[in-house]
Amino acid sequence: MKEIFRLTLVLTVITAVSAGVLAFVSYQTEEPIRKALQEEKMTAARNVLPPFDNKIIEDRKFVVNSAGDTIEVFRGKKDGKITGAAFPVISADGYSGDIEFLVGVNRDGVIQGVEILKHSETPGLGAKIQSGEFRDQFGGHSIDNTRVWEVKKDGGEFEQITGATISSRAVTRAIRKGLNFYETNIDEITGGADRLREGVKQGSEEKD
Amino acid sequence: MDAGKEFIKGFWRENPVFRLVLGLCPTLAVTTTAVNGIGMGLATTFVLVSSNTVISLIRSFIPKKIRIPAFIVTIATFVTIVDLVMNGYFHALHKSLGLFIPLIVVNCVILGRAEAFASKNPVWLSIVDGLGMGLGFAVSLTIIGAVRELFGNGTVFNISIFGDSFNPLLLVIMPPGAFIVLGILLGLMNRIEIKIAERSGRKPIISKTHDCSVCVVNRSWFDLGSMEKGK
Repeated sequence: MKEIFRLTLVLTVITAVSAGVLAFVSYQTEEPIRKALQEEKMTAARNVLPPFDNKIIEDRKFVVNSAGDTIEVFRGKKDGKITGAAFPVISADGYSGDIEFLVGVNRDGVIQGVEILKHSETPGLGAKIQSGEFRDQFGGHSIDNTRVWEVKKDGGEFEQITGATISSRAVTRAIRKGLNFYETNIDEITGGADRLREGVKQGSEEKD
Repeated sequence: MDAGKEFIKGFWRENPVFRLVLGLCPTLAVTTTAVNGIGMGLATTFVLVSSNTVISLIRSFIPKKIRIPAFIVTIATFVTIVDLVMNGYFHALHKSLGLFIPLIVVNCVILGRAEAFASKNPVWLSIVDGLGMGLGFAVSLTIIGAVRELFGNGTVFNISIFGDSFNPLLLVIMPPGAFIVLGILLGLMNRIEIKIAERSGRKPIISKTHDCSVCVVNRSWFDLGSMEKGK
């Protein structure tokens, strides 16, 4: 009986010390991690938005899509006028796992850029969706000026990556979905921007 | 015991990957590029040195019956620290190593060194052992990563070696390529070891000739009679 208490005590002490150390480290790294994640998303947003001069972090807007999910929309403005928006799109049709990326459009819904945020496609094959060659072909396209929004293999206008049709198709179709989301919510995204800005000014802590 | 000897053994004589063949999960999974190999290797080295130090310090307080849970808790603590710090300060690397950082906990090299070395040796030697083993692991992973990146992508450390006309051998950076490259490097290392041993006149760590009579391939798995002694 005496031994079991000793064993329990030793293990309790070890785990308690570990918990204390981890609590401290977690507290210390919370801010840098949040900043790194934010910075990652901001860099992507800057890359896909048309020229802007506002602080995009303050001009974010949260829009509910048709599936009921809240989408974080970044808005680029120049001289107080909306020039475009960037919003995340998630495709569940990838070869392995979800593909998450950011689509940037101008006011009229013409694509300015696509940035892949997260994916777990096969290295060397599906992972090539990250390559500029693939991503850049969407630039300048909109629902109106594109007849068949599919990869070439499916009779569409977009070049698929050789050997990675599934990944290419997933991204292509999800972009189309994203454009639909923008069209549907265009009033909510582009309207009311100035009013929002007034409201956020006080509470903002981040500079962009 | 000689500290220098404890340090150097991790690189050749008791190399974790090529000699002990431990920690193969990260070895096979993350070595698609040389940079990933270095990152994983250094993260493991940090955990190994830290856990060896702490376990060696508290080795006299840990009752034998609960030593494994005690070791695992210590190792898991350091792994979580690496995970958090890397996520905050080396975000890009953390992203490419992804899931494999938390999995350092179950890397048998670390538990193996805690059990076989740190729990029986003074702190100073345990640190040296952890450093040697960890860096040996890091070097091995970097070599595998560099070879796979070279043939699978035409680059080493993101520097193009073969030029644009090179048609990469995709298989090498896919999972089967990890096994193939590891096997070839293991074979090469054995060959070099035998050559070195012959030249310096010592006995090689591995036996030179393959003994067919003890090889499992030579036996019929279902014919138990042939498994008997003397066959």
